[in-house]
Amino acid sequence: MEEPKQIQVIRIGAEAIVSRLRWNGFDLVSKHRVPKPYRVPELDRWIRDRRTIREAKIIVELKRAGVPAPAIILLDRSSSTIYMQYIKGVELKKALDRLDPMKVVEIAGRLGEIVGRMHLRKIVHGDLTTSNVILDEAGRIYLIDFGLSSVTDDVEEFAVDIHLLDRSLESAHHKLRERFMRNFLLGYSKIVGRERALEVLGKVKEIRMRGRYVKRGG
Amino acid sequence: MAEERLVLGIESTAHTLGFGIASTTGKILANVNYVYKPKEGGIHPREAAQHHSLHAARGVIEVFRKAGIDPKRIDGVAFSAGPGMGPCLRVGATLARALALKLGKPLLAVNHGIAHIEIGRLVTGAEDPVVLYIAGGNTLITAYLDGRYRIFGETLDIAAGNCLDAFGIEAGIGPMPNPEIRAREGRELHPLPYKVKGMDVSFSGLLTAALKLLKKGVRVEDVCLSITETVYSMLTETLERALAFTEKGEILLVGGLARSIRLRQMIEAMAKLHDAKVYVVPPEYAGDNGAMIAWTGALQLLSGQTIKVEESKVRPKFRIDEVEVRWRSLSRSK
Repeated sequence: MEEPKQIQVIRIGAEAIVSRLRWNGFDLVSKHRVPKPYRVPELDRWIRDRRTIREAKIIVELKRAGVPAPAIILLDRSSSTIYMQYIKGVELKKALDRLDPMKVVEIAGRLGEIVGRMHLRKIVHGDLTTSNVILDEAGRIYLIDFGLSSVTDDVEEFAVDIHLLDRSLESAHHKLRERFMRNFLLGYSKIVGRERALEVLGKVKEIRMRGRYVKRGG
Repeated sequence: MAEERLVLGIESTAHTLGFGIASTTGKILANVNYVYKPKEGGIHPREAAQHHSLHAARGVIEVFRKAGIDPKRIDGVAFSAGPGMGPCLRVGATLARALALKLGKPLLAVNHGIAHIEIGRLVTGAEDPVVLYIAGGNTLITAYLDGRYRIFGETLDIAAGNCLDAFGIEAGIGPMPNPEIRAREGRELHPLPYKVKGMDVSFSGLLTAALKLLKKGVRVEDVCLSITETVYSMLTETLERALAFTEKGEILLVGGLARSIRLRQMIEAMAKLHDAKVYVVPPEYAGDNGAMIAWTGALQLLSGQTIKVEESKVRPKFRIDEVEVRWRSLSRSK
């Protein structure tokens, strides 16, 4: 078998370098968590290793639940690298402003369903922004970057996912935000149920209210 | 060039009662601050408010004396409208209203967080940075986009400064910078909850876990090392994410915790990876101060953002993204 060949660096993220590779006729993506010179080495190793393993486990679990995400091909713990399926498409963040309004509504609803299915499996994404949703050429959407995902039962954690998505829209696409979130929530409640959706939404509001000013010693 | 106008600013959101005078051309004429220091524990809002009332009159006289101008020369009176502690905010607001009425000058309600950012931009020369605003009561990552300072990340529970101060007080070594100073003698790092969610952070679980380590008998220096390294790593990482997300080339650190030497080191190491420039607000303007309110008031005077006395309520939960930042679209000479 030949060694994978790097074709292109897709994203130099805050945490990892994501590259596109060519390997035995397949297109792959590698996600390498780079050491951070600003962290003390022991803390750095611990964080990278923990996140690499957690991410791989979660992706496998999500694929089982039918959440569209890149499939895992190989895991190299010694270098904190995950090799996975390559999805040809663009970040939703970059596509949103030039999509037509009907398409935006449809995508928002579908994303709501996908996130709902993920939450039903007790998995939170942890960094759910429009940069971490890929829109492929056929108009399908995929979730990527589960580096900060975790398994949880805490409503608050689910609410944080939605809060983060809302805030990424608010900061980068504030004109689309309301319409997007409304349709997102429709899709979401279709999967998790109205009651559960309202419960999570209540928490989202609480988080927004809270992160603002906490009195010392209070 | 437009004629220079002067604004008096009054700060009183938490422990500091501050007075400043700034000109619309960006000169700080005076910066006079009185800091309430609790005998033990954290800030008691009512005691802090009493401290502020006690120093109010003296502060007004002192700031005009330092600036060397007559109070009649002032073109506006600015005050910190929030976020902050209600009783403290009301002292500054009452004083500002009285002075505005007495002098017959417009009143300017300033957002405290925005004032930290604007004084930082003024004194460091940063133009369009991603801002990490870290203080006892606030932790947020923000950048200017489409007329407002948008919040990209913030704490989901307590502020970073609050976490470190509370730890220091509980551990009996006192608030910041003591935990950071003691950390320099730390030898062993203990894992603590590292809670980063996107660009948001959470510190309350980490504080509890650090206090548990102390109870278990771990050396206080080692716990200091673990808590400061973990908190600062989390902040640096979220800032790195925001930098990647916004694609800006500058970082600005403001707020009391911007004084931290270790945090600054970490952020500079991170910025190097992205070819970003780091600006840190100098110590004089890092903590709460009157000059930052005066300067932001001056900017608001330029953009016509004054407020009527009868509408000038204090706002303990005032968010920075509620403010229309009209002055940044004015063509100001750079």
